[in-house]
Amino acid sequence: MLRKNSVLAVLVSMLIFTGCSSGNQASKQTDKVEEAVNSSSTSISGQLSFYTSQPEEDATKLVQAFNKKYPDVSVETFRSGTEEVTAKLQAEKQAGQVQADVLLLADAVTFESLKSQNLLAAYKSPEREQIADELMDSDGMYTGTKVIATIIAANTDKVSTLPTSWQILTTEEAKDAAIMPSPLYSGAAAYNIGVFSRTDGFGWEFIEKLKVNNMSVIKGNGAVLKSVASGEKNYGIVVDYMVAREKAKGSPIDLSYPEEGVPIITEPIGIIENTDNIDAAKAFVDFVLSEDGQKLAAEIGYTPVREGVAPPEGLKGISDLTLLSGDIAILTNEREADKKQFTELFGN
Amino acid sequence: MDVITTDDKQQTLDKGRLKSSLLPFSFLTRKTAKLLGIILILFFFVLPIGKLLYLSIKVETGFSFSHYIELLQQVRFWKTLENTFIIVIASTVLSLIMGIIAAWIMAYTNIKHKKLLHLLILLSFVLPSYVLTLSWSSFMGTQGLIASFLQLFHSEAKPWSMYSMGGIIFVMGIHHFPLVYLFTVNVLKRIPRDLEWAAKASGAGRIKNFTQIILPLALPGITAGGLLVFLASLDNFGIPAFLGTPVNISVLSTLIYEEIIGFGPSAFARGASLSVLLGLIAVAGTMLQWLSVRKSKTDDTARLDSQPRYDLGKHRLWINPLLWSSLIFITIVPLFSMISLSLKKAYGRPLSMNNVTLENYKYILFNNPKIWQSIQNSLMLALSTLIICLIVGSLFAYIRVRKPSKLIQFAELAISIPYTLPGIVFALSMILVWMEPIPGWNPGIYGTTSMLFIAYVCRFLILQIRAGVTAFMQVDTSMDEAARISGASPWRKWVSILLPLLLPGLLSGAILVFLTALTELTVSALLYSSRSQTIGVTIFSFEQAGDTLYSTALSSLIVFLIVVGTGLLQLIQKLLSRKGVNHEY
Repeated sequence: MLRKNSVLAVLVSMLIFTGCSSGNQASKQTDKVEEAVNSSSTSISGQLSFYTSQPEEDATKLVQAFNKKYPDVSVETFRSGTEEVTAKLQAEKQAGQVQADVLLLADAVTFESLKSQNLLAAYKSPEREQIADELMDSDGMYTGTKVIATIIAANTDKVSTLPTSWQILTTEEAKDAAIMPSPLYSGAAAYNIGVFSRTDGFGWEFIEKLKVNNMSVIKGNGAVLKSVASGEKNYGIVVDYMVAREKAKGSPIDLSYPEEGVPIITEPIGIIENTDNIDAAKAFVDFVLSEDGQKLAAEIGYTPVREGVAPPEGLKGISDLTLLSGDIAILTNEREADKKQFTELFGN
Repeated sequence: MDVITTDDKQQTLDKGRLKSSLLPFSFLTRKTAKLLGIILILFFFVLPIGKLLYLSIKVETGFSFSHYIELLQQVRFWKTLENTFIIVIASTVLSLIMGIIAAWIMAYTNIKHKKLLHLLILLSFVLPSYVLTLSWSSFMGTQGLIASFLQLFHSEAKPWSMYSMGGIIFVMGIHHFPLVYLFTVNVLKRIPRDLEWAAKASGAGRIKNFTQIILPLALPGITAGGLLVFLASLDNFGIPAFLGTPVNISVLSTLIYEEIIGFGPSAFARGASLSVLLGLIAVAGTMLQWLSVRKSKTDDTARLDSQPRYDLGKHRLWINPLLWSSLIFITIVPLFSMISLSLKKAYGRPLSMNNVTLENYKYILFNNPKIWQSIQNSLMLALSTLIICLIVGSLFAYIRVRKPSKLIQFAELAISIPYTLPGIVFALSMILVWMEPIPGWNPGIYGTTSMLFIAYVCRFLILQIRAGVTAFMQVDTSMDEAARISGASPWRKWVSILLPLLLPGLLSGAILVFLTALTELTVSALLYSSRSQTIGVTIFSFEQAGDTLYSTALSSLIVFLIVVGTGLLQLIQKLLSRKGVNHEY
């Protein structure tokens, strides 16, 4: 009888075997704390956990440039969509401890909601002097790192003159031929709906007219770009830098800043409350907002947030933009309602 | 719910056999082993679900079912549920029909180039679902080939829109049919031909033969494949998100995603409640599958018989082109569009001499060390997942078939749930469990490669178990007995008799596990760390950044690697195959 269940026994031992992990992670925590204690202001070192929604390549370049200046900080990057990063943070919070130290995500509204959950630490970087007030949080919980405008993209093979107004999307010319990202999947798109629906001359009527004009809604900005570049659609509502980059590669696509103004998102950066490496976190934030960090952003293809750093070829700088904006508190509180209303409107 | 076919007499025989069957673990008494097994299954498979359940009923003041009540009152929820049922059932039926036809042709006819066909069939499962979706939507789009073809006849003609229920069902169906095929093809080969001869001699026609003989005997394989397709369709997020979102068709998996990424303190709880409901549907599906195989019989000859049984003769003239063209249509066209995209300098310009480049591949192969790292990580992860799943899953399947009990059935249910939950939900539940598995103890697994490994094993183990159960059900206990009576030692029995018979079935499960793990995305996207980036995450990152040219180049490279890998595997099998035992899978 002894060996009757030996099969189960093997199964069990196998499972145990899988459970044994090869990590020497357990000691990391204590190391972190020790390093934080040992680090003086002159030598910043230790582990820094960086959660971001930037494209992989941009995040890599940023970390490399940061490491040139601070070689002793080992930065662990986690990259995914803004929503996935937020979901991961929430799960970590539920499990007892947020692992991230620094966050760099799509828009201020996301940070507002994190702020209201007391997940962020205040830090007013000295670099903020060179940045316009409306691009950062007055309590110092987060600061914009670049300026990303939402514009109209047009396929140059299909469209002879670039549009000058958002209203073109409600006319016969754009009937069945325009596309936009879904606010359910794109933080930037959700922000735009919030702004448009509260701006004089637009409002929900404008969004209804888009619907009547058979505007397509697709998952994300990348998909909008592809749809317009391939000529499947003539016009698209999309973030500016993607279009400029694709145009530079030779795609039949161009961008137009409508004269009424453009909504912008700022990809803010913020520090997590109770981070165990505050010195490195602050150094990282300072670097991103510094002249070097901003020049790097412009090199990659973004409009810098800092005054005095030139925007990349093909994009407008912050001082040349007419902005469409809304009250950030209202936008944050109403975001879910906006998404719902949009879903109902486009659902029928 | 007594499911399995073995009658009492065989059970008693089994008991005697198990005693002598294995290995030096006898120091573990039966009870402890059982207890340990239960604890481990509870910890690995039930705890994550438990955490979700807990979250879904926990409110500020205590516990309540308010989230569920709120859900059940929403019109949108019921609409979503209806969509989900229609899509999952219809696409499962489509996969079943395609899978069975493909398996029948491959198992019984003398069609040419079987090896190549086999690869082609597998390809549509290997292609990441977003690649399939993208290529089909552009193929059927207003600018696509089909549209220009239709306009020859009628200037207003528009192709059928992929952004519809029909489109989702179609893409899901073709994406999952290889699962049914893989599970059915070996089962068909094992059905002894003398049964058919007997039926023919008694005057049964070909149709009757198929419905009365082949189908009942092939049922375990068909339903196992069907169940997996059902579970995979339930959890599939990529296809409905891409094709359903623009036209506001939501299914449970996309609704869960939208809830979870929504703001507010209750977002998580609402997502968890939905996930629990989804899990219930999966459990119901599994039970249904058990019911359907209750009556199926094993047969005592369990040799793989790969000799063709039907000479297609003059039918070959139309079956051959039809089969090839449909497969080419399903996989090669999308694949070709993907590869041609990866060779372009600029997106949106046609592929021509001045727009062709190998730059994208150069970048992938030489300019970005992270990509090689991610390919290595994925290969290592997929390989170790395969090995563990093959061992654990096969043993589990053995017990499940030879010593069925309520307990082992419950265990199987528990193990199947991680495969059903949408990836994002499963990943979140893993975070909840593994950051502090036991309050106050952080093993430091979260954020390392081990985390991904554990998640993969938990999620894909069921694939191996289903393949294993199908394989074991096909091998009658008389084989065991014959071996014992002839005086073979347990070791000898396994190595010379059982393994050769089982290997094809077990290996096809292992291949499934490997391929699924290799290109896995949704779970990795939340659990990876910068040291353990996977192929799926890399492709997804490019895609999200709008770098379609890079993402298609990498996808093409992976497909190429898989094709080469499968070719190598077949070569190895050829070398390994012994006399009388055919290792074709």
